[in-house]
Amino acid sequence: MIQQFIDQAPIFFTLNNGLYWLRALMTTLSMALIGCVVGFIFGFVLVYFRTSTISWLLPLRALLIAYVEIFRRIPFLVLTFLILFASRGFGFQLSLFWVACVTIVLIATAYIAEIIRAGIEAVHRNQWECADVMNFSRARTMLYVIVPQSWVFIVPPAFSYFIMFIKETSLTSQIGTMELMSAGKYFNSIGISPLMAYGTCLLLYFALSYPLTLLGRRIEVRLKNRFKGNMEALSASDQ
Amino acid sequence: MSYTFQWGVAFDYLPYLLGGALVTLHLTFLGFLAGLIIGLTTAVAQVYGSPIMQRTANIYVVFFTNTPSLVTAFFIFFGLPEFGILLSPYLCILINLALNAGAFLADVFRSGIQSVKTAEMEAAEIMGFSLFQKVQYVISPHIAKTLYPPISNLYIIFILGSALASIFGVEEITGRAFNVDSETFRSIEIYSIAAIIYVLLTFAASFALALVGRYVFRVKARMF
Repeated sequence: MIQQFIDQAPIFFTLNNGLYWLRALMTTLSMALIGCVVGFIFGFVLVYFRTSTISWLLPLRALLIAYVEIFRRIPFLVLTFLILFASRGFGFQLSLFWVACVTIVLIATAYIAEIIRAGIEAVHRNQWECADVMNFSRARTMLYVIVPQSWVFIVPPAFSYFIMFIKETSLTSQIGTMELMSAGKYFNSIGISPLMAYGTCLLLYFALSYPLTLLGRRIEVRLKNRFKGNMEALSASDQ
Repeated sequence: MSYTFQWGVAFDYLPYLLGGALVTLHLTFLGFLAGLIIGLTTAVAQVYGSPIMQRTANIYVVFFTNTPSLVTAFFIFFGLPEFGILLSPYLCILINLALNAGAFLADVFRSGIQSVKTAEMEAAEIMGFSLFQKVQYVISPHIAKTLYPPISNLYIIFILGSALASIFGVEEITGRAFNVDSETFRSIEIYSIAAIIYVLLTFAASFALALVGRYVFRVKARMF
Protein backbone atom coordinates (compact mmCIF):
# COMPACT_ATOMS: atom_id res chain seq x y z
CA MET A 1 0.00 0.00 0.00
CA ILE A 2 2.83 2.39 0.87
CA GLN A 3 4.50 1.41 -2.40
CA GLN A 4 1.30 2.44 -4.20
CA PHE A 5 1.39 5.84 -2.48
CA ILE A 6 4.98 6.41 -3.54
CA ASP A 7 4.19 5.33 -7.10
CA GLN A 8 1.22 7.63 -7.40
CA ALA A 9 2.61 10.66 -5.62
CA PRO A 10 4.26 12.21 -8.73
CA ILE A 11 1.02 11.82 -10.71
CA PHE A 12 -1.13 13.16 -7.90
CA PHE A 13 0.82 16.08 -6.47
CA THR A 14 1.11 18.31 -9.54
CA LEU A 15 0.34 21.99 -9.98
CA ASN A 16 -2.65 21.35 -12.24
CA ASN A 17 -4.22 18.93 -9.76
CA GLY A 18 -3.61 21.47 -7.00
CA LEU A 19 -5.45 24.12 -8.99
CA TYR A 20 -8.27 21.64 -9.63
CA TRP A 21 -8.62 21.02 -5.88
CA LEU A 22 -8.50 24.77 -5.22
CA ARG A 23 -11.32 25.42 -7.70
CA ALA A 24 -13.37 22.65 -6.13
CA LEU A 25 -12.74 24.17 -2.70
CA MET A 26 -13.89 27.58 -3.91
CA THR A 27 -17.06 26.07 -5.41
CA THR A 28 -17.90 24.42 -2.09
CA LEU A 29 -17.24 27.61 -0.16
CA SER A 30 -19.21 29.85 -2.51
CA MET A 31 -22.20 27.49 -2.50
CA ALA A 32 -22.34 27.50 1.29
CA LEU A 33 -21.77 31.27 1.39
CA ILE A 34 -24.45 32.14 -1.19
CA GLY A 35 -26.90 29.72 0.43
CA CYS A 36 -26.39 31.00 3.94
CA VAL A 37 -26.31 34.73 3.18
CA VAL A 38 -29.49 34.55 1.11
CA GLY A 39 -30.99 32.17 3.66
CA PHE A 40 -30.18 34.65 6.42
CA ILE A 41 -31.97 37.49 4.60
CA PHE A 42 -35.00 35.32 3.79
CA GLY A 43 -34.99 34.02 7.36
CA PHE A 44 -35.21 37.56 8.70
CA VAL A 45 -38.10 38.43 6.39
CA LEU A 46 -39.84 35.18 7.33
CA VAL A 47 -39.49 35.82 11.05
CA TYR A 48 -40.67 39.43 10.63
CA PHE A 49 -43.95 38.23 9.14
CA ARG A 50 -44.20 35.18 11.37
CA THR A 51 -44.06 37.24 14.58
CA SER A 52 -46.43 39.93 13.30
CA THR A 53 -49.74 40.26 15.12
CA ILE A 54 -51.92 41.58 12.29
CA SER A 55 -54.98 39.34 12.10
CA TRP A 56 -55.43 39.25 8.33
CA LEU A 57 -51.89 37.91 7.98
CA LEU A 58 -52.90 34.75 9.85
CA PRO A 59 -52.96 32.46 6.76
CA LEU A 60 -49.49 33.71 5.81
CA ARG A 61 -48.26 32.99 9.34
CA ALA A 62 -49.63 29.45 9.22
CA LEU A 63 -47.95 28.98 5.84
CA LEU A 64 -44.60 30.21 7.16
CA ILE A 65 -44.77 27.95 10.22
CA ALA A 66 -45.61 24.98 7.98
CA TYR A 67 -42.67 25.90 5.71
CA VAL A 68 -40.21 26.00 8.61
CA GLU A 69 -41.47 22.77 10.16
CA ILE A 70 -41.49 20.85 6.88
CA PHE A 71 -38.19 21.98 5.39
CA ARG A 72 -36.32 21.23 8.60
CA ARG A 73 -37.48 17.63 8.22
CA ILE A 74 -36.55 16.85 4.61
CA PRO A 75 -33.10 15.36 4.04
CA PHE A 76 -30.76 17.51 1.99
CA LEU A 77 -30.13 14.69 -0.50
CA VAL A 78 -33.83 14.13 -1.24
CA LEU A 79 -34.50 17.85 -1.64
CA THR A 80 -31.52 18.21 -3.99
CA PHE A 81 -32.92 15.54 -6.29
CA LEU A 82 -36.41 16.99 -6.01
CA ILE A 83 -35.21 20.48 -7.01
CA LEU A 84 -33.08 19.05 -9.81
CA PHE A 85 -35.91 17.08 -11.39
CA ALA A 86 -38.53 19.74 -10.71
CA SER A 87 -36.41 22.43 -12.36
CA ARG A 88 -35.89 20.19 -15.39
CA GLY A 89 -39.51 19.04 -15.44
CA PHE A 90 -40.91 22.55 -15.43
CA GLY A 91 -38.37 23.78 -17.93
CA PHE A 92 -36.08 26.01 -15.88
CA GLN A 93 -32.59 25.48 -17.24
CA LEU A 94 -30.72 26.08 -13.99
CA SER A 95 -27.10 24.97 -13.93
CA LEU A 96 -26.22 22.29 -11.40
CA PHE A 97 -24.41 24.85 -9.25
CA TRP A 98 -27.57 26.94 -8.96
CA VAL A 99 -29.71 23.88 -8.27
CA ALA A 100 -27.43 23.20 -5.30
CA CYS A 101 -27.63 26.86 -4.22
CA VAL A 102 -31.44 26.88 -4.37
CA THR A 103 -31.56 23.73 -2.25
CA ILE A 104 -29.23 25.21 0.34
CA VAL A 105 -31.22 28.45 0.40
CA LEU A 106 -34.50 26.56 0.96
CA ILE A 107 -33.13 24.54 3.86
CA ALA A 108 -30.98 27.33 5.32
CA THR A 109 -33.99 29.68 5.39
CA ALA A 110 -35.94 27.21 7.52
CA TYR A 111 -33.06 26.50 9.92
CA ILE A 112 -31.89 30.10 10.28
CA ALA A 113 -35.45 31.40 10.70
CA GLU A 114 -35.76 29.15 13.73
CA ILE A 115 -32.48 30.49 15.15
CA ILE A 116 -33.54 34.11 14.56
CA ARG A 117 -36.93 33.51 16.16
CA ALA A 118 -35.28 32.04 19.26
CA GLY A 119 -32.89 35.02 19.38
CA ILE A 120 -35.71 37.54 19.09
CA GLU A 121 -37.77 35.77 21.74
CA ALA A 122 -34.76 35.92 24.09
CA VAL A 123 -35.00 39.73 24.18
CA HIS A 124 -37.01 40.88 27.16
CA ARG A 125 -40.63 41.96 26.59
CA ASN A 126 -40.00 45.27 28.34
CA GLN A 127 -37.96 46.34 25.33
CA TRP A 128 -41.00 45.94 23.05
CA GLU A 129 -43.15 47.89 25.47
CA CYS A 130 -40.58 50.67 25.84
CA ALA A 131 -40.35 51.01 22.08
CA ASP A 132 -44.15 51.09 21.94
CA VAL A 133 -44.22 53.93 24.43
CA MET A 134 -41.69 55.81 22.36
CA ASN A 135 -44.14 55.46 19.46
CA PHE A 136 -41.82 53.32 17.33
CA SER A 137 -43.42 51.47 14.47
CA ARG A 138 -43.03 47.68 14.35
CA ALA A 139 -40.32 47.79 11.69
CA ARG A 140 -38.38 50.45 13.57
CA THR A 141 -38.66 48.55 16.86
CA MET A 142 -37.32 45.46 15.15
CA LEU A 143 -34.50 47.30 13.41
CA TYR A 144 -33.28 49.64 16.16
CA VAL A 145 -34.26 47.92 19.41
CA ILE A 146 -34.72 44.18 19.09
CA VAL A 147 -32.24 43.06 16.44
CA PRO A 148 -29.17 44.78 17.92
CA GLN A 149 -29.84 43.06 21.24
CA SER A 150 -30.69 39.62 19.84
CA TRP A 151 -27.48 39.62 17.76
CA VAL A 152 -25.60 37.87 20.55
CA PHE A 153 -28.11 34.98 20.51
CA ILE A 154 -28.32 34.76 16.71
CA VAL A 155 -24.77 34.99 15.39
CA PRO A 156 -23.00 32.07 17.16
CA PRO A 157 -25.57 29.36 16.28
CA ALA A 158 -26.05 30.81 12.79
CA PHE A 159 -22.30 30.62 12.27
CA SER A 160 -22.17 26.99 13.36
CA TYR A 161 -25.02 26.28 10.91
CA PHE A 162 -22.95 27.91 8.18
CA ILE A 163 -20.13 25.46 8.99
CA MET A 164 -22.66 22.62 8.98
CA PHE A 165 -23.77 23.66 5.50
CA ILE A 166 -20.21 23.61 4.21
CA LYS A 167 -20.16 19.95 5.19
CA GLU A 168 -23.69 19.37 3.90
CA THR A 169 -22.77 20.62 0.38
CA SER A 170 -20.73 17.44 -0.09
CA LEU A 171 -24.08 15.73 -0.82
CA THR A 172 -24.57 17.86 -3.94
CA SER A 173 -21.76 15.86 -5.57
CA GLN A 174 -24.49 13.27 -6.18
CA ILE A 175 -26.14 15.45 -8.83
CA GLY A 176 -22.77 16.21 -10.37
CA THR A 177 -21.84 19.64 -9.04
CA MET A 178 -18.09 20.01 -9.32
CA GLU A 179 -17.18 20.57 -5.69
CA LEU A 180 -14.71 19.06 -3.26
CA MET A 181 -16.36 15.67 -2.92
CA SER A 182 -16.70 15.28 -6.70
CA ALA A 183 -13.02 16.13 -7.05
CA GLY A 184 -12.22 13.25 -4.70
CA LYS A 185 -14.46 10.95 -6.72
CA TYR A 186 -12.84 12.10 -9.96
CA PHE A 187 -9.32 11.34 -8.73
CA ASN A 188 -10.47 7.96 -7.43
CA SER A 189 -12.02 7.15 -10.81
CA ILE A 190 -8.81 7.91 -12.76
CA GLY A 191 -6.99 5.34 -10.67
CA ILE A 192 -5.57 7.21 -7.67
CA SER A 193 -5.85 5.04 -4.55
CA PRO A 194 -9.07 5.82 -2.65
CA LEU A 195 -7.14 6.41 0.58
CA MET A 196 -5.17 9.19 -1.09
CA ALA A 197 -8.05 10.74 -3.06
CA TYR A 198 -10.62 10.74 -0.25
CA GLY A 199 -7.92 11.43 2.33
CA THR A 200 -7.03 14.69 0.54
CA CYS A 201 -10.74 15.45 0.37
CA LEU A 202 -11.10 14.90 4.13
CA LEU A 203 -8.08 17.07 4.89
CA LEU A 204 -9.35 19.92 2.70
CA TYR A 205 -12.79 19.85 4.33
CA PHE A 206 -11.07 19.84 7.70
CA ALA A 207 -8.84 22.75 6.67
CA LEU A 208 -11.95 24.66 5.59
CA SER A 209 -14.15 23.96 8.56
CA TYR A 210 -11.80 23.82 11.56
CA PRO A 211 -10.48 27.43 11.34
CA LEU A 212 -14.07 28.59 10.88
CA THR A 213 -15.10 26.66 14.01
CA LEU A 214 -12.34 28.39 15.98
CA LEU A 215 -13.37 31.75 14.51
CA GLY A 216 -16.97 31.05 15.52
CA ARG A 217 -15.88 30.37 19.09
CA ARG A 218 -13.95 33.66 19.19
CA ILE A 219 -16.91 35.58 17.80
CA GLU A 220 -19.11 34.05 20.49
CA VAL A 221 -16.74 35.05 23.29
CA ARG A 222 -16.34 38.58 21.94
CA LEU A 223 -20.08 39.10 21.52
CA LYS A 224 -20.70 37.80 25.04
CA ASN A 225 -18.12 40.21 26.45
CA ARG A 226 -19.51 43.13 24.51
CA PHE A 227 -23.04 42.48 25.67
CA LYS A 228 -22.14 41.54 29.22
CA GLY A 229 -23.12 44.89 30.71
CA ASN A 230 -26.32 44.89 28.71
CA MET A 231 -27.27 41.39 29.86
CA GLU A 232 -26.57 42.17 33.51
CA ALA A 233 -28.76 45.25 33.29
CA LEU A 234 -31.52 43.15 31.76
CA SER A 235 -31.35 40.44 34.40
CA ALA A 236 -31.26 43.15 37.10
CA SER A 237 -34.43 44.69 35.68
CA ASP A 238 -36.09 41.27 35.91
CA GLN A 239 -35.77 41.16 39.69
CA MET B 1 -46.35 23.94 -16.76
CA SER B 2 -44.98 21.46 -19.23
CA TYR B 3 -44.91 18.58 -16.76
CA THR B 4 -47.92 16.30 -16.23
CA PHE B 5 -48.04 14.59 -12.88
CA GLN B 6 -48.90 10.90 -12.77
CA TRP B 7 -49.30 10.11 -9.10
CA GLY B 8 -50.91 6.71 -9.72
CA VAL B 9 -47.68 5.14 -10.94
CA ALA B 10 -45.83 6.47 -7.92
CA PHE B 11 -48.47 5.40 -5.41
CA ASP B 12 -48.20 1.77 -6.59
CA TYR B 13 -44.75 1.74 -4.98
CA LEU B 14 -45.87 3.29 -1.69
CA PRO B 15 -45.65 0.05 0.39
CA TYR B 16 -42.14 -0.54 -0.98
CA LEU B 17 -41.08 2.98 0.05
CA LEU B 18 -42.70 2.62 3.48
CA GLY B 19 -40.69 -0.57 3.96
CA GLY B 20 -37.66 1.64 3.46
CA ALA B 21 -38.76 3.75 6.41
CA LEU B 22 -38.35 0.66 8.59
CA VAL B 23 -34.76 0.20 7.35
CA THR B 24 -34.05 3.89 8.02
CA LEU B 25 -35.43 3.53 11.53
CA HIS B 26 -33.38 0.53 12.57
CA LEU B 27 -30.27 1.83 10.84
CA THR B 28 -30.43 5.14 12.71
CA PHE B 29 -31.55 3.49 15.95
CA LEU B 30 -28.61 1.06 16.03
CA GLY B 31 -26.19 3.74 14.87
CA PHE B 32 -27.40 6.21 17.44
CA LEU B 33 -27.31 3.64 20.25
CA ALA B 34 -23.69 2.84 19.42
CA GLY B 35 -23.08 6.60 19.14
CA LEU B 36 -24.48 7.15 22.63
CA ILE B 37 -22.04 4.61 24.09
CA ILE B 38 -19.09 5.99 22.10
CA GLY B 39 -20.07 9.57 22.96
CA LEU B 40 -20.38 8.91 26.69
CA THR B 41 -17.04 7.05 26.79
CA THR B 42 -15.34 9.83 24.84
CA ALA B 43 -16.80 12.58 27.01
CA VAL B 44 -15.72 10.78 30.21
CA ALA B 45 -12.25 10.31 28.72
CA GLN B 46 -12.15 14.00 27.80
CA VAL B 47 -12.99 15.13 31.32
CA TYR B 48 -11.42 12.49 33.59
CA GLY B 49 -8.91 10.67 31.39
CA SER B 50 -5.14 10.78 31.46
CA PRO B 51 -3.55 13.45 29.20
CA ILE B 52 -3.01 10.92 26.40
CA MET B 53 -6.63 9.77 26.54
CA GLN B 54 -7.82 13.37 26.58
CA ARG B 55 -5.68 14.16 23.55
CA THR B 56 -6.95 11.12 21.63
CA ALA B 57 -10.58 11.85 22.50
CA ASN B 58 -10.16 15.49 21.46
CA ILE B 59 -8.63 14.51 18.11
CA TYR B 60 -11.51 12.09 17.48
CA VAL B 61 -14.17 14.69 18.27
CA VAL B 62 -12.53 17.52 16.33
CA PHE B 63 -11.93 15.28 13.32
CA PHE B 64 -15.44 13.91 13.02
CA THR B 65 -17.27 17.15 13.80
CA ASN B 66 -15.28 19.00 11.13
CA THR B 67 -15.52 16.58 8.21
CA PRO B 68 -18.68 15.77 6.24
CA SER B 69 -20.16 12.42 7.07
CA LEU B 70 -20.40 11.62 3.35
CA VAL B 71 -16.62 11.87 2.91
CA THR B 72 -15.89 9.75 5.98
CA ALA B 73 -18.40 7.23 4.63
CA PHE B 74 -16.54 7.13 1.29
CA PHE B 75 -13.28 6.81 3.18
CA ILE B 76 -14.59 3.85 5.19
CA PHE B 77 -16.37 2.24 2.24
CA PHE B 78 -13.43 2.40 -0.17
CA GLY B 79 -10.59 2.66 2.34
CA LEU B 80 -11.18 -0.42 4.47
CA PRO B 81 -10.96 -2.88 1.53
CA GLU B 82 -7.42 -1.53 0.97
CA PHE B 83 -6.56 -3.04 4.36
CA GLY B 84 -8.31 -6.28 3.41
CA ILE B 85 -11.47 -5.67 5.45
CA LEU B 86 -14.63 -6.22 3.41
CA LEU B 87 -17.87 -5.14 5.05
CA SER B 88 -21.41 -4.97 3.74
CA PRO B 89 -22.66 -1.47 2.80
CA TYR B 90 -25.14 -1.56 5.68
CA LEU B 91 -22.39 -2.26 8.19
CA CYS B 92 -20.13 0.44 6.70
CA ILE B 93 -22.85 3.05 7.00
CA LEU B 94 -23.68 1.85 10.50
CA ILE B 95 -20.05 2.29 11.58
CA ASN B 96 -19.90 5.70 9.92
CA LEU B 97 -23.15 6.88 11.54
CA ALA B 98 -22.04 5.57 14.93
CA LEU B 99 -18.67 7.32 14.73
CA ASN B 100 -20.28 10.59 13.59
CA ALA B 101 -23.03 10.46 16.20
CA GLY B 102 -20.41 9.59 18.82
CA ALA B 103 -18.39 12.73 18.06
CA PHE B 104 -21.40 15.07 18.12
CA LEU B 105 -22.83 13.42 21.24
CA ALA B 106 -19.45 13.59 23.00
CA ASP B 107 -19.62 17.39 22.68
CA VAL B 108 -23.10 17.39 24.18
CA PHE B 109 -22.19 14.94 26.95
CA ARG B 110 -19.06 16.87 27.88
CA SER B 111 -21.01 20.05 28.54
CA GLY B 112 -23.47 17.91 30.53
CA ILE B 113 -20.73 16.36 32.67
CA GLN B 114 -19.24 19.78 33.33
CA SER B 115 -22.63 21.01 34.50
CA VAL B 116 -22.85 18.39 37.29
CA LYS B 117 -22.49 20.28 40.57
CA THR B 118 -19.05 19.89 42.17
CA ALA B 119 -20.68 19.20 45.54
CA GLU B 120 -22.37 16.10 44.09
CA MET B 121 -19.10 14.87 42.64
CA GLU B 122 -17.32 15.49 45.95
CA ALA B 123 -20.03 13.57 47.81
CA ALA B 124 -19.51 10.65 45.40
CA GLU B 125 -15.78 10.92 46.03
CA ILE B 126 -16.30 10.67 49.81
CA MET B 127 -18.54 7.64 49.36
CA GLY B 128 -15.57 6.00 47.67
CA PHE B 129 -17.20 5.66 44.24
CA SER B 130 -15.02 4.47 41.42
CA LEU B 131 -15.10 6.38 38.13
CA PHE B 132 -17.50 3.83 36.65
CA GLN B 133 -19.86 4.12 39.64
CA LYS B 134 -19.74 7.92 39.42
CA VAL B 135 -20.75 7.76 35.78
CA GLN B 136 -23.49 5.25 36.55
CA TYR B 137 -25.05 6.76 39.67
CA VAL B 138 -24.21 10.50 39.57
CA ILE B 139 -23.51 11.65 36.03
CA SER B 140 -25.94 9.51 33.99
CA PRO B 141 -29.13 10.42 35.91
CA HIS B 142 -28.19 14.10 35.72
CA ILE B 143 -27.37 13.91 32.01
CA ALA B 144 -30.51 11.92 31.19
CA LYS B 145 -32.65 14.73 32.46
CA THR B 146 -30.86 17.87 31.29
CA LEU B 147 -29.58 16.59 27.95
CA TYR B 148 -32.68 14.76 26.80
CA PRO B 149 -34.04 17.56 24.53
CA PRO B 150 -30.77 18.26 22.64
CA ILE B 151 -30.11 14.55 22.22
CA SER B 152 -33.56 13.87 20.81
CA ASN B 153 -33.01 16.80 18.41
CA LEU B 154 -29.73 15.22 17.32
CA TYR B 155 -31.56 11.96 16.67
CA ILE B 156 -33.92 13.73 14.26
CA ILE B 157 -30.94 15.29 12.49
CA PHE B 158 -29.38 11.84 12.21
CA ILE B 159 -32.51 10.40 10.63
CA LEU B 160 -32.12 13.08 7.94
CA GLY B 161 -28.38 12.44 7.69
CA SER B 162 -28.91 8.73 7.16
CA ALA B 163 -30.24 9.52 3.66
CA LEU B 164 -26.64 9.32 2.47
CA ALA B 165 -26.74 5.56 3.02
CA SER B 166 -28.61 5.35 -0.30
CA ILE B 167 -25.44 6.40 -2.14
CA PHE B 168 -23.77 3.19 -0.99
CA GLY B 169 -26.67 0.98 -1.95
CA VAL B 170 -28.42 0.54 1.38
CA GLU B 171 -32.13 0.23 0.60
CA GLU B 172 -33.65 2.75 2.96
CA ILE B 173 -36.22 5.38 1.95
CA THR B 174 -33.96 7.34 -0.39
CA GLY B 175 -32.31 4.20 -1.75
CA ARG B 176 -35.66 2.69 -2.58
CA ALA B 177 -36.71 6.01 -4.12
CA PHE B 178 -33.66 5.73 -6.41
CA ASN B 179 -34.73 2.22 -7.40
CA VAL B 180 -38.32 3.17 -8.12
CA ASP B 181 -37.16 6.29 -9.98
CA SER B 182 -34.97 4.25 -12.31
CA GLU B 183 -37.88 1.92 -13.04
CA THR B 184 -40.70 4.42 -13.56
CA PHE B 185 -38.95 7.74 -14.37
CA ARG B 186 -41.62 9.65 -12.39
CA SER B 187 -38.85 11.48 -10.51
CA ILE B 188 -40.76 14.45 -9.09
CA GLU B 189 -43.59 12.32 -7.73
CA ILE B 190 -41.28 9.69 -6.22
CA TYR B 191 -39.00 12.19 -4.48
CA SER B 192 -41.98 14.19 -3.21
CA ILE B 193 -43.40 11.04 -1.66
CA ALA B 194 -40.00 10.21 -0.17
CA ALA B 195 -39.80 13.73 1.30
CA ILE B 196 -43.29 13.42 2.76
CA ILE B 197 -42.40 10.05 4.31
CA TYR B 198 -39.34 11.67 5.92
CA VAL B 199 -41.45 14.53 7.28
CA LEU B 200 -44.01 12.13 8.76
CA LEU B 201 -41.31 9.81 10.09
CA THR B 202 -39.46 12.61 11.89
CA PHE B 203 -42.70 14.02 13.27
CA ALA B 204 -43.58 10.57 14.62
CA ALA B 205 -40.08 10.20 16.05
CA SER B 206 -40.24 13.64 17.74
CA PHE B 207 -43.63 12.78 19.20
CA ALA B 208 -42.49 9.37 20.48
CA LEU B 209 -39.32 10.87 21.95
CA ALA B 210 -41.29 13.64 23.65
CA LEU B 211 -43.64 11.04 25.19
CA VAL B 212 -40.74 8.86 26.38
CA GLY B 213 -39.04 11.94 27.80
CA ARG B 214 -42.14 13.02 29.66
CA TYR B 215 -42.92 9.66 31.29
CA VAL B 216 -39.47 8.13 31.74
CA PHE B 217 -37.17 11.06 32.42
CA ARG B 218 -39.74 13.63 33.62
CA VAL B 219 -38.57 16.13 31.02
CA LYS B 220 -40.86 18.80 29.70
CA ALA B 221 -39.91 18.18 26.09
CA ARG B 222 -41.39 20.48 23.49
CA MET B 223 -42.27 19.00 20.16
CA PHE B 224 -41.65 22.16 18.15
